Amino acid sequence: MAVKHSHTTSQGVPMHAILAEFSNPATVTRAAEHFRDAGYTKWDVFSPMPIHGIEHTMGLKPSKVSYFCAIGAIAGFTIAVAMQGWMSAIDYQTVTAGKPLFAWEQFTPIIFELSVLLAAISTIAGMFILNGLPRHHHPLLTSERFLGASDDKFIIAIEATDPKFDAQGLKSTLESLGGYGIEEIEED
Amino acid sequence: MSAHAPQLERYLERENIFLSEGAGSTLWKALAGLGAILTAVAVMAGFTGGEEGAKIALHALHTGFALSVMLPVTALGFVMILNVVKSGWSATIRRQLENMMVLMWVPAIMFVGILVLQYVLASAVEVTDPKYAPYLWEWMNSAYVEGDVLYEHKKGFLNVPFFLIRSLIYFGLWAVLAFLLSNESHSQDADADKWRTVTALKISAIGLPIFAFATAFAGFDWLMGLDFHWFSTMLGVHFFASGLVSALCVLALTLLVLRSLGKLHGCFTQEHMHDLGKLIFGFNVFWAYIAFSQYFLIWYANIPEETNFYIIRKAGEWQWVSWAVPIVHFAIPFVLLLPRPSKRNGLVLGSVCVIILIGQALDTWWMIRPEVVMSDGHRPGISWIDFVGVFGPLLILAGFYVRKVASGPLIPLNDPRQGQALTHVNHV
Repeated sequence: MAVKHSHTTSQGVPMHAILAEFSNPATVTRAAEHFRDAGYTKWDVFSPMPIHGIEHTMGLKPSKVSYFCAIGAIAGFTIAVAMQGWMSAIDYQTVTAGKPLFAWEQFTPIIFELSVLLAAISTIAGMFILNGLPRHHHPLLTSERFLGASDDKFIIAIEATDPKFDAQGLKSTLESLGGYGIEEIEED
Repeated sequence: MSAHAPQLERYLERENIFLSEGAGSTLWKALAGLGAILTAVAVMAGFTGGEEGAKIALHALHTGFALSVMLPVTALGFVMILNVVKSGWSATIRRQLENMMVLMWVPAIMFVGILVLQYVLASAVEVTDPKYAPYLWEWMNSAYVEGDVLYEHKKGFLNVPFFLIRSLIYFGLWAVLAFLLSNESHSQDADADKWRTVTALKISAIGLPIFAFATAFAGFDWLMGLDFHWFSTMLGVHFFASGLVSALCVLALTLLVLRSLGKLHGCFTQEHMHDLGKLIFGFNVFWAYIAFSQYFLIWYANIPEETNFYIIRKAGEWQWVSWAVPIVHFAIPFVLLLPRPSKRNGLVLGSVCVIILIGQALDTWWMIRPEVVMSDGHRPGISWIDFVGVFGPLLILAGFYVRKVASGPLIPLNDPRQGQALTHVNHV
């Protein structure tokens, strides 16, 4: 993927992001409000525990994964009706127990099961498509401080691809919001 | 909690949680009066309409009774569930279910009325063959069951004295549980004793299994007993599922109306709406699952005693009702209520509740009314008597419900979990 790197670190290496640590959920939430209102789009908050309502604070839109679920369910429904209808009413016509060849009653459990199965599979697939997982490495993982986000640290990282990205301005903004240990993360 | 206290205090101001003095007094009298008139018209039609009129009126009034009894009964069941699971979010909306459950006496009177009406009509209306006298429960007609081998086997259970004793036990158990729980809740309004919540939990834990058996057997006796050759082990659950989704719809509509009257700020928010929407959606799917499973097993097994129930309902004009019930009760509400935003929108949620309640009236009517069979064997279709007979008893219940809602505080005043309900938020 050819990304044009307009931002470089102090070592002259292409920059992936700038991150800062915050001391508690309250300060990180306040900082998140600032970046939401300033119109940043490519940034994230990392926390060792759930911060309820952070998705609203960050201004995140509802996930699109439910559309994958709906498409999977509709596909499962359609396939189940078509498959059973074709098999029992067209391809291999056998009257069993005096039931009609196209008996929706006996199709229903399979229609239900296949709808649920394909909905579940497409939901999981949709999640992976939308979040870009699985991947072997991420530039943020080079930072010791960032790894602390799964232990005791609250982190905000702003990516260099954000249209509003300005390394110098961001550092002072992060500091004024209570951030510390500000790091420049190199691109892979 | 204490940090929020000053902000939450204003939700508990009298203005917000009480209706104004005398509110609803015209409405409840109008509803109950109209219901009484419609019921009287249905009874009159029963006496003047010959064999067909008598049978249709009896079955239509029985439909009205069945709908009127399932609402208070399942409201009681759901209050017990909320108590047992120590539900916090519902502490401000539970009172409307309690207002419904204490109306158990209304269907109890209707039940006595139905029984009396059956015997009066059976002797007053002339039929050529006493076998086809206008009985609601045909097994009560000695001319009908004479020489019936299947009835001989069921006689030990299906006889009039035992039937009356059982019905008395059902109403008795429900009424005692409803009285005890309502008493705890209303006493807590006055004395703020938080241990009453624990007492209510204990009563509910003991009451739930009793309630489950009473409700299932009431369904067997009052609905399945209409065709005593037929049997379905699912019918008890079907009766409960029908009532529960309907009671939740009535609860949601009550709260939405109170909200539109400018009451219950903070007590009934979009978050409570969302949770009620999820419960209505879930229990509506549960109803569909039970109703389909009952049909599916009987259709597959193909045993004559069982299939007769569905053969009647899949023939002639009843087949259109058989299609309308799953569409109105399940398919339309399922699609409308599936997206998250529609559960959080009062207009959509309220409309879905109305659709489900219409579907439920249709479902119960579909279950009872096709049992009408004339001396010549034909089964009459819809008549104007059905409308007055079904809506008469329902409007009487609605009238007393309005009176009950307007009579006291709209939320339990001193519930220890009130704070949880007032600050309730859905994070998903």
